[in-house]
Amino acid sequence: MRCEDIAERHADYLAGTLSEDERAAVQRHVAGCAACRRETESLGGIWTALKDVPVAPPDSRAMRARLDAAIAREAAATRPARGWQWNYALAAGVAVAALIGGVFLGRMGPAATPSTDVTALRDEVRDLRHMVALSLLQQQSASERLKGVSWSGQLEGPSDEIVTALLDTLRHDTNVNVRLASIDALKRVAGRDDVRSAAVEVLQTKASPLVQMALIDFVVETQDQDAVGVLRQLSDDSQSNQTVRTRAAWGLEHLGVKS
Amino acid sequence: MQAVREGDLAQLGVLFDRHHRAVFDFLVRTTGQRAVAEDLVQDVFERILKHRATYRGEAGFRPWMFRIACNARSDYYRRSEPTASWSDELDGEDETPGPERQIEDANEAARLQRALLALRADKRELIVLARFSELKYEAIAQLLGTDVGTIKVRVHRALKELRDKFLSMETRLTCDVKTLPNGTPTI
Repeated sequence: MRCEDIAERHADYLAGTLSEDERAAVQRHVAGCAACRRETESLGGIWTALKDVPVAPPDSRAMRARLDAAIAREAAATRPARGWQWNYALAAGVAVAALIGGVFLGRMGPAATPSTDVTALRDEVRDLRHMVALSLLQQQSASERLKGVSWSGQLEGPSDEIVTALLDTLRHDTNVNVRLASIDALKRVAGRDDVRSAAVEVLQTKASPLVQMALIDFVVETQDQDAVGVLRQLSDDSQSNQTVRTRAAWGLEHLGVKS
Repeated sequence: MQAVREGDLAQLGVLFDRHHRAVFDFLVRTTGQRAVAEDLVQDVFERILKHRATYRGEAGFRPWMFRIACNARSDYYRRSEPTASWSDELDGEDETPGPERQIEDANEAARLQRALLALRADKRELIVLARFSELKYEAIAQLLGTDVGTIKVRVHRALKELRDKFLSMETRLTCDVKTLPNGTPTI
């Protein structure tokens, strides 16, 4: 076996995938060739040492919760009329039936009362939806909270309480997916000062890069000039994630700030 | 995975429990960034969920999963840095060496990880796949769309380059740093 043959077999030699005969042939050559011995030993040392580079375990529980949320979304998308959705579909159905009934009764009843009844029923339906959304946002399970955010995003004229809950989710939720969803839900009330300032506030914390990227898109979409300082800070900060820095520079450009 | 493909989505949780550490290890070793690696693990399993119908199972689940992990990582960098390519140098190195990094360098294992991160991305990916994925060279070749002979030559060359980078790095002084019980800093 020549020195070139040894180099060709290094990968298999290290991985232990050579046949017994070939391995023995390599070892015979290496025993008599100082250059190949040095090369084999030093590469073998690196190969072994790689296993000694430890990786701290990830936050498996949070990651599993995120996956569960994705599975729940997928299951809901593929089976739209089953499972948990029944409960809300039923609640919504009852509310709609009550509303229609109310309208009908209102028309049948005295002329002075219908608009009051319909308004009251509408208020009840809206309150019910708010209640469901708030309740879901407070759940232990990330997938339930994700449903809560999604439910909140569909509300017409979300109450202060809902907006506060969404802001709380954006600031403190441990699950990145839930936080990302809250950013989407908050876009509908992006005109509010508290929402815009919360976006800027969270942007300057060391959040997940994905959350920061979504918030940069948010402040650009809302053309929030108050975010210019934070974007500049992120763009210049050599300690920040490179992707976030690039996106922040993009954000500054789209807010009309010259570099 | 067959069960997931046939609609039993809850089984994906079992696959996650079994394989997510391997995917995380691959991603954190190739990106050097824990937060990004965690986000990408999520992305990988969501892709598995979304593309479950395309799973054929001829080569087994693990090579398929690692192919998705390679794609997710590649897409992440392409999406976030439109001007950079998959094989650009130091794409996992987005931080200038701060005091903490300098302290970590004092440790040999950390120095090796630094050397690994200093390799070009495709070489780094190959070494991590060869050393940690428990995939055979044939499976890696299939995953990366080349022949097994080429893969073996590339592994050899990448390993030599890693050794040279490792040896050229100077050990730095150490002080207070978060360590494992045996004193080794973690990624």
